[in-house]
Formats: sequence, structure tokens, C-alpha cells
Amino acid sequence: MDSKKTVLVIDDSRVSRMITRHYIANQHPDWIIEEAATGEEALERVKTLSAHLILVDVNMPGMGGIAAAEQLCKLCPHAHISLLTANVQSATRKQAADLGIGFMEKPVSEEHIHQLLASLEK
Amino acid sequence: MIPLTELEHDALVEIFNIGVGHAAASMSAIVNEEVKMSVPSISFLNRASAAKLLSNKDDERICGVSQHYEGAFNTEAMLMFPENKSLEIVRLMVGESVPLQELTEMEQEAMSEIGNIILNSCVGTLANIFQLELHGSLPLYHVGTSAEILSASGSPDDTTVLMLHIDFLLEKQQIRGYVAFILDLNSLQDLKHQINRYLLRSTGSA
Amino acid sequence: MTETGSMQPDAQRLSLLESVLSAANLGAIVLDSERRIVLWNRWMERHSGCPASAALGVDFFTLYPDLLQQRVGTAIGQALRDNFPSLLSQTLNKAPFALYANAALRGERMQQAVAITPVDVAGATRHCLIQINDVSNAVGREKLLRDQTLVLRTETFLDGLTGVANRRHFDVAMEKELRRAKRIDSALSLLMIDIDSFKSYNDHYGHQQGDACLIKVAATLAEMLQRPGDLLARYGGEEFAAILPETDAAHALQLAEAIRARICGLDISHARAGATKHITVCIGIATMNIPNPVDSDALIGAADRALYLAKHAGRNRVMAQSQGKARQEIG
Repeated sequence: MDSKKTVLVIDDSRVSRMITRHYIANQHPDWIIEEAATGEEALERVKTLSAHLILVDVNMPGMGGIAAAEQLCKLCPHAHISLLTANVQSATRKQAADLGIGFMEKPVSEEHIHQLLASLEK
Repeated sequence: MIPLTELEHDALVEIFNIGVGHAAASMSAIVNEEVKMSVPSISFLNRASAAKLLSNKDDERICGVSQHYEGAFNTEAMLMFPENKSLEIVRLMVGESVPLQELTEMEQEAMSEIGNIILNSCVGTLANIFQLELHGSLPLYHVGTSAEILSASGSPDDTTVLMLHIDFLLEKQQIRGYVAFILDLNSLQDLKHQINRYLLRSTGSA
Repeated sequence: MTETGSMQPDAQRLSLLESVLSAANLGAIVLDSERRIVLWNRWMERHSGCPASAALGVDFFTLYPDLLQQRVGTAIGQALRDNFPSLLSQTLNKAPFALYANAALRGERMQQAVAITPVDVAGATRHCLIQINDVSNAVGREKLLRDQTLVLRTETFLDGLTGVANRRHFDVAMEKELRRAKRIDSALSLLMIDIDSFKSYNDHYGHQQGDACLIKVAATLAEMLQRPGDLLARYGGEEFAAILPETDAAHALQLAEAIRARICGLDISHARAGATKHITVCIGIATMNIPNPVDSDALIGAADRALYLAKHAGRNRVMAQSQGKARQEIG
């Protein structure tokens, strides 16, 4: 029996957030899924929200995904954080590795989301 | 002009952002440097308005790379930069100083490849996400005024131009370019229909 | 319809097509949907040194493993999967295939323009065609044009007094070499060379002799920086800069020390030069290594700081600084 988890999806695209929410809900209908449209908004949210999983879009206006992820690593040390990006190049890989977080290539597939969720169970 | 709902607009912007993101990754592998590309906004315009958007002055020269796509839908796609910006892009990508005021033949080939990468990425992502079959052509290089470039495809004047604003970042140089898709009424309606199919399929609602 | 001694129309047509492909003055490789080579024309045999018998049926990436992660690999995927053609220009993709004007002699790879296009085959899944054109002549002609243009601009790129490159040339070259070093993953070193107590030399011996001294020092530096990629420039009044591509910190240090010793050995009298009584230089060295790429401001700043340290450590010496760590070497 898996415990109910909380996910924070950070992406400036509403459609992208909807799709990610849909893929997660398909697997775990009881999980709580919160959204933020910017890094700044996400940092505000985590003051009152305890998330198990945080998905961060890299390409966002304002502080951007990398800077937000950097902060989130410190603010939410127990959360699993993953970058979402279409631009997977060595600089991105290095940035993720330096922060000790994962990354997922866009477009995000339901298959990959399920793989990520499955790995969290362990 | 077919208006898109806010959600449809968001979906299209996101799809193109994914497309240019892939293109940036390919270009980064070529220059061994970090390359970032994004689509901050898109708009639907008639040809005259599109030409005006591309150049403030009537005689300003634009460099364009065009490819034709057909199959599930038909469109002429074009990557465009003002001439001085295209000199900058090629110089950054090729890694050599460009001593002349125009692109040489080799540099035009390099520009054509850049167009090929970006256009194939954008349309390829669209085709994959919409699960459509398409066929594309090899890139063609053009230089001329914006009005000339946009009518190079020869399509009738009542077509709509779907214009993507592109931000390109390499070695701290930020360059603004455009990708234009020339669409007739049928293709526009097709596009709206495909976006809705996709939304329904991937979010459970449209 | 058959006649003794003549072929069926289909076989005749096939034979014609094979002859055409053999005679074609470009490389043609066709891959099936599993990326196996199903066509390898005469041009490919001639210029790769690989006979068709060794290529046909082989997985393309077994023959060319390096190309999988590069643009060629991506383009093949796009052709087979997305039905899109790709253009690989000669400038952005340097000679991806091991092809030579004379395959037996090898030598430099020929310059290649490549197009990778999807091909529909009746009764089979999509194939892809790789066309390779030899553009070495065109590239050569364009290089000549570019070199001649640069020669015409030489007046604006040379220092009037010493005849070495001027500051403007240095700035342009610095950007170019940094970019190139990052692209080819090699180290780049920069030397900032400053003549010790030059102002007092000028004051004591007069400006004409000061000029003569600068000319002599520049000529000596130029003699010692003979590699085609090195660039010596007059950076300021009595300051020179040397860009050393594909040179690591150790070699840069070696060269800087040799320069310091040679200038000292010129024995140009300088009554006001403190301990040495001769013209000497201080040299600051900075090296960029690829794990930590930097921009030109950072590299010049590091060399400048090293130069400053050398001056303050007592002149006629060389100081290296790379990646923020200062190492002192005595003159």
C-alpha cells in the first residue's frame, strides 16, 4: 500500500502542468498535486507546503528553473527534485549533477512519469 | 484568422518551446558551448503585418532559410534573421570572424543548416506530439526584404502567417529571430483541430 | 519478351541505374530501417578505401561508431523516423567521414557537404540516402578569398611602429582563439609581456631610442613566437601580448622563461634599470583549460594579475597564474 504523496509541478505553461498532473493522477489518483507558474511562486508555496516530489521546468521567465531548483534543494532537503527540459545538453546535465538532482527530457511521456513515480516507491 | 483559445495558444507555445529546445541541444553539440533557445510568444498575422514585424525599414535585408512540409498538413516554414544578426549567428556558430558584409557561399550553407536544424526540430516535435505523418524538403537560402522573403513561397496573399518569436542565446550574445509558418485556411483549421485532439488525449479534457 | 543475348526491361533498367550510380561523382550510401548499409557506390569505394563487399549488410554505426552521437546520427534518425531531410554543411561539420582524395595515400580528409534524405522503397520500410559531395575546391577558393581580404585589411591590424599585430587585431584574435579552443577541447595560454622601467628608459635615452628599443624587443619576441597559430600583438605602450593556442601551462611557462632570458640576453643598456642595468621584461601567464572555460576578460585579467605580481616580486621575472592559483617562477 503506497502512502499518499504531495507533488509540486512548476512550469510556466498551463498545458504542461495539466498534462503532468494528468499523468501522475492516472497512476496515483489520491496524491495531492500542487502547481506553480514561476520559480518565485514555487518558493513561496514551499513555505507552507511539504512536497515529496518537485518537478521544475528549466525554461521559465523570471528566476528560471535552475535557480529555483538550487533554492528548493536547500528549502526541501527531503524532496525528490527533477528538472524538466527539452534542451538536454552537457551544460544541463552538469548543472543537474552538481545539484544532485535528476532531469527528464521534454516532451514528458506518461511512461517516463510512471518510471519516476515507481522509483520513488523504493 | 482562426482565433485560438488561451489553452490552445498555451499548448502551441509549449510545443514550439520543446521544439527549439531540441534544436538548441543539437546546436550546442556542434559548437561545444551552451546554447539556449526559447519561444517567448507567437502570433497570427496576415502577410503584410508579418513583413512589417520583421523589418522596420522597407529596404532592410533579411536572411531566410525555408523548407516546405506536406502530408497531414501543408506549410512553408521559414527561419528569419535581419541580415546583420544572421552574420552574428553564423560567426558564433562557425567560430570564425566574417570579414565581409555578406555571408559567403559557405556561410550561407551554414545558415541553411541552422535553419534545417531549427525548422525540423519545431515541425518534428509538432508532428510527433500530434502523431502525424509529414514529409519535408531540404533548406533553401534567401536574402531580400521581408516582403520578398515572405512571398518567395508563391502562396496566395490571403494566407495567414503563424509567427514565432525566437530568442537565441550563445556566448552571452542574445539574438532575436523569427520562424514563420505560412498556412492557408484549411491548414489553420487543421492545426486548431490537432491541438484539441492532443489536449483531449493528454489531459483528459480540451 | 526475351531475345537471346539481351536482358529483360526491368533488368536492363536496373543495370542502367547501377551504371549511373557507379559513374556519379558523389558518394551515395543507402541504409535500411535497421541502419544496415544496402548501397555503397563506386565513389565511396574509391575515396574511403573500403570496398562494397566490406560495407554491404554492415550496421552503419559499426563502421562509423563516432557518428552515432553526432549530427550524422541525429540526421539519420530524423530521416528514418520523421521523414525529414537534413543538410550537413562543410563549415559546421568538419569532414565527418574518413574520405580522402587518394584513399591509398590518406592525408587530410576531403572537405564534405552531406545531405541525408529519407527514401521510400516499395514493399519495404523507409530507407535513407546519404549523399556526400567533395567540396575541397570550393572551400579552398573561399579560404583564398578570405585570406586575401584579410591581407587587404592588414593596414588596420598592424602596429605602425613595431610591425606586429595591433590591439584591435589582438581583441579579434582572442575571441576567435578562445572559441576555437573550446570547440577543439584544447588549452589556450596568454602571455602579457611588459618591459621593465620603460618610462625611465624613454626619459633617460629619449623617445627615438625608446622606439628603437620597442622595435628590437618586438622583433625578438616575433622570432620566438614562430608557430603559425601564435599571435604576438602590441597591447599597449610598452606592453605586448602573446596568444598561444594549444599550449598548456607548462609549455607556456617554458616559453615565457625562454623569452625572459633572451630579452635579458640582448644586453640593451639601461642605466636606470635598477639591479640589472639592462632592458628586461616581466611576463604574466594565464592558461585556460577546457574543464573550466573562461571568457577573454577573465583570461586577460588573470594574466594581468600575474604580471603585476611579477613586477612587485622584483622585475625580470615570470609569473604564472591559472585557475586562480598563483605559482611563482623565478627569473
